[in-house]
Parts: sequence; structure tokens; C-alpha cells
Amino acid sequence: MVERLLDSMISGPSAKRFYTLFALAFITACSSREVIVDGSFPTPLVDPVPVSLGVVFTPEFREHQLVDDATGRGEVSWSVSTGVAQVQFWSTLLPAFFQNVVFIESYDDLETYDVDAVFVPEIADVQYAIPLYTNVKVYEIWMRYRLRLVEPEQLKDNDNKTLSLDNMQPFAEWPLTAYGKTPTAFMQSDSDAVNLAAVMALRDAGAHFITSFGRVPGIMGWLENPEESQ
Amino acid sequence: MKSSLPLFLMSVAMLGGCVTASVDEMTFDAPTAGMAEGSLVILGRRHAPDYDTEPDFIDCIGGHISRGSESIDVIPEQQFVDSLYPWFEPRTAPLSIESVGRLMVLPTVASKLQELNVSYMVWIDGRTQETNSSGSMTCGVGPTGAGCFGFGTWGTESEYEATIWNFDDGAEVGKMSALTSGQSYMPAVVVPIPIIAPVQDTACESLGTQLLQYFSAGS
Repeated sequence: MVERLLDSMISGPSAKRFYTLFALAFITACSSREVIVDGSFPTPLVDPVPVSLGVVFTPEFREHQLVDDATGRGEVSWSVSTGVAQVQFWSTLLPAFFQNVVFIESYDDLETYDVDAVFVPEIADVQYAIPLYTNVKVYEIWMRYRLRLVEPEQLKDNDNKTLSLDNMQPFAEWPLTAYGKTPTAFMQSDSDAVNLAAVMALRDAGAHFITSFGRVPGIMGWLENPEESQ
Repeated sequence: MKSSLPLFLMSVAMLGGCVTASVDEMTFDAPTAGMAEGSLVILGRRHAPDYDTEPDFIDCIGGHISRGSESIDVIPEQQFVDSLYPWFEPRTAPLSIESVGRLMVLPTVASKLQELNVSYMVWIDGRTQETNSSGSMTCGVGPTGAGCFGFGTWGTESEYEATIWNFDDGAEVGKMSALTSGQSYMPAVVVPIPIIAPVQDTACESLGTQLLQYFSAGS
């Protein structure tokens, strides 16, 4: 298309090829970067917490995407999709960290499974920084979660027989921050470096979650008596 | 003339920039029977805000030791970190041998370390970075071709420190360091010809050789 456009403006095959290359390079430089976070996540080495936990991944969580439209600033726009990786990561971590984990997707699941509590993770914020913005030679990703534990009964909309998060009152709610970075010295493309930083941030989220879980207010008491303390 | 040009280019390309290296060592209690039993793991420090110790440098050190002595079993870094996740992440990795004692309280961690038969752990902290650059080069693309003209030069410095922990004794048994620097050049007459100083490779070889001597002692 670009070549056809230039065809009407200039003559000579070599000149056309040169201007086509120039135009393509210009378009590439001004285009956006799209990263779908992809990585492999190890199973944590922990003694499982002796509780039975339901997990709800909301559609917002499953499809989470960070979009930074920088066209107004004359910079490259970024789109970083973390949703698939989030689900993959937490689906690996939670079944290893808790004795019994079931993934709740419907009202029927809540009726079927007898769980002590339901875990509802939410991504409150994701930010990124690249060397162009910070002058520091690292690509960085920050994640902030809002994590909640709620009684299963609170998620049941018995009138409509649906799963509802609208009126839940968690017995434990806490923030969790995570950080990942990739130095420029590792010589990757921008997109690869942001992907790796996001994978590192997810691993850090797991490390932070596992090491801080028992100290969260409201959870210590619940762990002592999971079936009654709520 | 035509036939000598590739030869000239090849000989220039094979030239490396000059590198100077200095190594320092302070160790005690080298393995008396070598490393015939037990494994060694080499890990990079990743908790500094502005740099990470490069994974490929850690691989290079591990490879150097493995090639130097078949009796030394080096566990690959990523395999070790993944199998002990999340206890060796930047947030959680022990900063001293005393902290390892707190990790060993966890039965699963103690069991995994026993399974891996880890006798020694080497932490490497440092990085390779560009120190200065000068010169200029102009490149152009025209309808008849492309080419560059000019001269560029830059300095590179590697600074790494290795700390050795003996797992069996629960003690830090030594520190080694390698500091290397070098100047790279890139003259360009139509084609740029990089003459790269192998600064990081020299640091790897220096530190790897020191570690190999330490772990081979007595065997």
C-alpha cells in the first residue's frame, strides 16, 4: 500500500525502494508496541495451608490489559495484556499453597463445593517504565493487587441463582504489591524486556503473597478455625 | 588486491580490544576432598535497584567450572531457583548464610536442598557496563547502496564479586573478585569493523578459574 502510494509521487525503481523503506521505518518507529505477557511459572515449594478455598477470577482479572496511548506525547504507545498470564500464574500458585482449591465460575459451583472461603483477586493498578522515560537502564513493571477473602454465602444471589460480587463484605482484604525489572544490558527488544519484567513481577507477587499471607489481619484468626472464624 | 581484502577484513575482525584484569581472593577451608560428593550452585544477585547480575555470566562461570572438572556437579541457576520457588527470588533470597538457617526450618525447603545435595552455594554480585564512549560515525542509505564512515570507541568495565557459602558447615568460606576493563573500537570505511574487547568473557574466565581452583583443591 505504501509502495503504491509513493508510486504516484516519485519515479525510478531505486528511488521508490528507498522512499518505501524510509516510510516503513518511519511508520514502525511511530507505531504501538503490543505485549501479551507469556512465561512459565514454577509450582511453589511450600507446606500447604490446611484450608479449602474457592477462587473467583473476574472477567476484568482474566482480561486485564494495561494501555498507554502515547500518541499525544509523540511517543510509542504500549499495550500490555497480563490477564492470561495472571490466570496461569495464580492457577499454579494457589493449588500448591492451599490444601484444597476449586475454581468457582457459577452459582452452581458455590452450591456444589464446600469451601471455607472464596478468594477474589483484583488488579488495582499496573504501571510500566522503560529507559526512555526514566534514564535508568532497566525496564520495570509494578503491579498492585487488592485481594479479598469472603464467605461463600456472600457471593450467592439466591433470588437470581447467580454468582454476585456486588454486595460482598470480605472478612479479610489487603493490598499486595509486586515489582519486576529487566536491565537493558540483557540486550532484548523493548517488547521482550517488558514481557520479562512482567513475568518477574508475577513471580514477585507470588513470593510476596506466600511470605505475607499469614500476617494479614483477619487471616491469622481464620487460619486457626477456618470454618467458624468469619 | 581483491583477494587480499577479505583476508585483511578477517584479520582485523579477529583482533580484540585490549583488556586488563585484576583478581582478588580471600578464602579459607577449601574442600579437602574436592567436590566428589555434593553439588555446587552458582546464583546471581538481583536485588539492586539499577542492575541485575547477568544470567549469561552465571551460565558462563558454571560452564567454566563444569568443563574444568567433571567431578564437580554444577546445578543450573534457573533450575535451582525454580525448584525452590519462591525462596530464592530477589525479594526472598537469603543475603547471609545465617538467613539460610531460617529457610532450613521449612521442611519442604530442607528436603529439597537435601535432595539436590547442595554442598556449596556461590553468590555472584556485579555487572558489566559501558564506561565511556567517543568518536562519531555517519551512516547513509542511498539509491545505489549504503555505507558508514567514521570511528567510534568505548570503554567497558566488569566488576564481579563471588561469595562462597559452605552448606554443610553453615559458614561463609571465602570471597573472590574480578575487575576487568577494556577499550573497544569500531572504524568504519563503508563497512563498520567492530574490534570488541572481551571484557565480560575475561572476567568470567578469571573468576571461573579461581573458583575452579578452590573447588578442585585436595582432589
